[in-house]
Amino acid sequence: MIVHISRRYRFAASHRLHSAALTEQENRDTYGKCDNPHGHGHDYEVELTVAGPVDPVTGRAVDLARLDDLAAREIIAPFHHRNLNEEVAAFRSVVPTTENLSIEVDRRLRARWPETFGETLRGTGPCLEKVRIRETDRNICEV
Amino acid sequence: MLISKKVEFSASHICRSAQLSDAENERVYGPAANPLGHGHNYIVEVAIEGEPDPVTGMILNLRDLRDILEDRVLSVYDHRLLNREVAPFDSIVPTVENIAIDIWNRVAPCISSTAGGRVKLYSVKVHETDELAVEYRGEP
Repeated sequence: MIVHISRRYRFAASHRLHSAALTEQENRDTYGKCDNPHGHGHDYEVELTVAGPVDPVTGRAVDLARLDDLAAREIIAPFHHRNLNEEVAAFRSVVPTTENLSIEVDRRLRARWPETFGETLRGTGPCLEKVRIRETDRNICEV
Repeated sequence: MLISKKVEFSASHICRSAQLSDAENERVYGPAANPLGHGHNYIVEVAIEGEPDPVTGMILNLRDLRDILEDRVLSVYDHRLLNREVAPFDSIVPTVENIAIDIWNRVAPCISSTAGGRVKLYSVKVHETDELAVEYRGEP
């Protein structure tokens, strides 16, 4: 039986939304307060949805210890209490919006998924179904 | 169209499998493997699917849905040690995955029979903590 597990993690990070491809005025118009040159921060909440069959012995559809280790390595360690623009390579050239952050989290997890969980086809192991990031209660992105 | 209802129950459980060694149990379940048990305040969100009745404007009277959940889930699960007092957890581990599937099995036939086949259960989502929830949609 296939179930869908939602696991939540949290990290706090700062960022500045500013694109080198836009003028100063365009950046202010596009990002508003988020373009503040000194940056600002959020308590991010990452919700991963993983689908998989329930193992008849363990009663688990995903090995939570492995999922938590993966999240600790790929999300918490690189992002928690970091300046995303300065300290995360992906955001040197890409604006760390919630959209791009979700894409980056999804990319990082998928890159390590096979070595963490082995076979990932539906029916044989857990698959990453959704990454949902809550930047604030009013700003949530899902990939 | 979907409509959902949320209810809560509190229960204790022990996440250990007799088919695993002590070390394996502790690796898989972490502190939840404590043989003396621990508990949670579970939140159950049940979504049903159907079209609103043209007269009442309701897919299913939510009072009927509440009564089903009270009778089939809360009276069975609330303030119980799941491993000892709720079948099938004498033989399978009461993980939140298995709890969501068991609640589906208890509720699905009642939803169909109450609404005369007009309404069906769409999903059961069980929140064990703020960090962990499982949704079951009846997928084999």
